[in-house]
Amino acid sequence: MPAKHLEASVRHVAGAAVIDLDGEINSFGEETLNAAYSEAEAKDPEVILLNFEGVDYINSTGIALIVSLLGRARASQRRLSAYGLSDHYVEIFNITRLSDFMGIYPDEKSAVQKATVS
Amino acid sequence: MTAPKSSGQKGGNRPWGTSLAELSIPSEPGNERWAMEQVAEAVRGLDLPPGRLEKLKTAVAEATMNAMEHGNNYRPEVPVKIQVWLLKECLLVRIVDRGGEPLPSSDLESPDLEAKLEGRQTPRGWGMFLIKNMVDEIRVSGNPDHHTVELVLRLKGGNDAS
Repeated sequence: MPAKHLEASVRHVAGAAVIDLDGEINSFGEETLNAAYSEAEAKDPEVILLNFEGVDYINSTGIALIVSLLGRARASQRRLSAYGLSDHYVEIFNITRLSDFMGIYPDEKSAVQKATVS
Repeated sequence: MTAPKSSGQKGGNRPWGTSLAELSIPSEPGNERWAMEQVAEAVRGLDLPPGRLEKLKTAVAEATMNAMEHGNNYRPEVPVKIQVWLLKECLLVRIVDRGGEPLPSSDLESPDLEAKLEGRQTPRGWGMFLIKNMVDEIRVSGNPDHHTVELVLRLKGGNDAS
């Protein structure tokens, strides 16, 4: 099975920056993910949303990368949230307690809505 | 990337169970994804609930990654061997490496996320924790020549039948 390396793009919606992710979140994705996060925070948004709709694999190294982003967000008093995770990865975010520190939403509409009213 | 391969010994019967697959995985980053998909294919006939299957896949991927990285130091010519066995009441996935580093412990404390977020711990270190939470039992054994990690998924009455 050929690896589907991570691609990421950044867009801005009301009150938030969205990072659209496509591919696998593993060690190969570190540079891409960190660069996209830096681009997203450049406009100093209150909230950064990670869109996982295009992600079909996250391994433990990928979890570590997300922990690093969450640490960066907390250090700059920014909220980091996620949407579009499959049920399996929602459970992994619960098991790892990532969901205690970042909002987890089913879709962009609910994530943006929550981001703009909080 | 070196092509992984199956040994073609699927379906062998032993007194203790039935072999569903034997795989040989070159120790290269990313090959754990191939391993987990091959194991998923091997157990397809068992009709595991989707949630159980996803957990098994994650456990296999993480254990294979540990074996490639810590056991075989990501040397492509040193393969990770994977056997999938259907036993009377459970599924057993055995993952064997060449034991380059000390035996991985299955008794590690849960990662401290707050410490990781505050920079007091490395963000890494989730692999064994994930494995333990994905399967019903994990057994780790070995000697200076190899490590063996066995993942056990009970087919009835497991922790999560979803």
